[in-house]
Amino acid sequence: MLNKEDLEKLAALSQIELKAEEENSLLNDLKTILDHFEELKELKTENVPPLRGGTFNFNVLRKDEEGEALEKFIALQDFPLEKDGYLIIPNIFD
Amino acid sequence: MVENLTVKKFINGIKNKEFSVFEIVSELVKKVEMQDNNLGAFLSFWDKEALKIANDYDVHFNFSNDSLYGLPLAIKDNILIKNKKTTAASQILKNYIAAYDATVISKLKEANAIFLGKTNLDEFAMGSSTENSAFQITKNPLDQSRVPGGSSGGSAVAVASGEALAALGSDTGGSIRQPAAFCGVVGFKPTYGAVSRFGLIAMASSLDQIGPITKTVEDAEIIFSKIAGKDQNDATTFDYQYQKIKDLNAIKNLTVGLPEEYFIEGISNEVSKGIDFAVEKLKKLNVKFKAVSLPHTKYALSVYYIIMPAEVSSNLARFDGIRYSRNAKFSNLKELYLKNRGEGFGKEARRRILLGTFVLSAGYYDAYYTQAQKVRRLIYNDFEEVFKKVDLILTPVTPTLPFKIGEKTNSPMEMYLSDIFTIPANLAGLPALSLPTGFKKDGLPVGFQIIGKRFEDNKVLGFGKFYESN
Repeated sequence: MLNKEDLEKLAALSQIELKAEEENSLLNDLKTILDHFEELKELKTENVPPLRGGTFNFNVLRKDEEGEALEKFIALQDFPLEKDGYLIIPNIFD
Repeated sequence: MVENLTVKKFINGIKNKEFSVFEIVSELVKKVEMQDNNLGAFLSFWDKEALKIANDYDVHFNFSNDSLYGLPLAIKDNILIKNKKTTAASQILKNYIAAYDATVISKLKEANAIFLGKTNLDEFAMGSSTENSAFQITKNPLDQSRVPGGSSGGSAVAVASGEALAALGSDTGGSIRQPAAFCGVVGFKPTYGAVSRFGLIAMASSLDQIGPITKTVEDAEIIFSKIAGKDQNDATTFDYQYQKIKDLNAIKNLTVGLPEEYFIEGISNEVSKGIDFAVEKLKKLNVKFKAVSLPHTKYALSVYYIIMPAEVSSNLARFDGIRYSRNAKFSNLKELYLKNRGEGFGKEARRRILLGTFVLSAGYYDAYYTQAQKVRRLIYNDFEEVFKKVDLILTPVTPTLPFKIGEKTNSPMEMYLSDIFTIPANLAGLPALSLPTGFKKDGLPVGFQIIGKRFEDNKVLGFGKFYESN
């Protein structure tokens, strides 16, 4: 059964900081939802191939041709910090 | 008059110069100014720009029969319109300006439609009541103490309250059909792959579809036929030449299945009566019904709440605090991720990301995710079997009438249950239509759902038109 430690591990994997006061309610919500999933164990599915997506298309390729790309200044307009066309991000190495 | 103005009547009216584009857009603008502070359908509204374009369309009148000349539309705020703010109703995108048009928007621009603004939704389209929006709640215009449904609640309200002639929504587990039913309008989720999702902010990519919310099924067909088709920017799309069914009398020869698993305890009395009303009406029109069974229906909710969060946890990884927006204070890179995502995502988004991360994690992947994909196959096979015996399936859209604002916000599981009848069509990729039965209880409408075979969107819409024209 999911416990607080598991929840914190999931939050770390998801890169989400949780507020201490919401941990209990989140944990309870997740437990209720996971309990509901137990019903899936009733079904025998050894020989059922998984349906791995919504489409039956395969090998969807476009022609290898030049196309138009977004202009650089438009592509950058939503980047929070930028200087002289360079993107500013925090230090990666401490 | 705009309340009752359909897309069809608008196109004819413009063609015959019964009114101008400017007159209609002005009336809609007045309506929004008068009532939308209270209803909360729109997140952005571009009155001046819409009026200017409307005027240009009148001055340089260039109507063509197969266009949507001057048609004023509302667009769900998870669909990109170039140079317009697109928030997905999330704090993390509150200042995001779209750099390009979604394919559906390019197609509608080509057809000369006008965009009035962007409509409210549950954050990232996650919810069934539009209460998960980071910015505002939206009220059901038929009873303002009740929710409009969700996640495309703003689009449904804009159409139902006469603020737009039609709207686009997106549907991952019922987000077009359920709000349409709650607001007494028409909502259509096309076959998976019929409409490009390029420029739709992705939630669960194996389930998401864009579709119309309109006043009539005929209008839904008009909009759908304009946005459908192959797009090299969405590999799931296929060549689609929509073939309208011209002779609606041929509809009578179709056989409609009533799946026993959809008529269960837990359906409210009013919804039962509404469905009986629709079935009786159709029987009088000589439509043939057949009892059928979709035995794995009861597992659909579990399958959906494993597969969808798994895809959500992956799709929402791009909102990292490096791109799009950077708000929280941080001292190193790790903290930047944690804080921006922690503060930027609302509760439901965080819940689903955590759940998705769980079902995909080592040790649980096979037990949850693979098992869900296998049961998804069983659900798909159920439909395949039933469609050997019948042409269409008729079901309720929702188990209850619209619920009260705040009624389910503290119980995610109860909120999830409001989508039990709409989820299976997404899991199987089938076209599904929600339309009013005509039955009402205390002014609140009951809708019903028509599900068809993949690529038979025309039969689903044809059947809907047959119902509404009789």
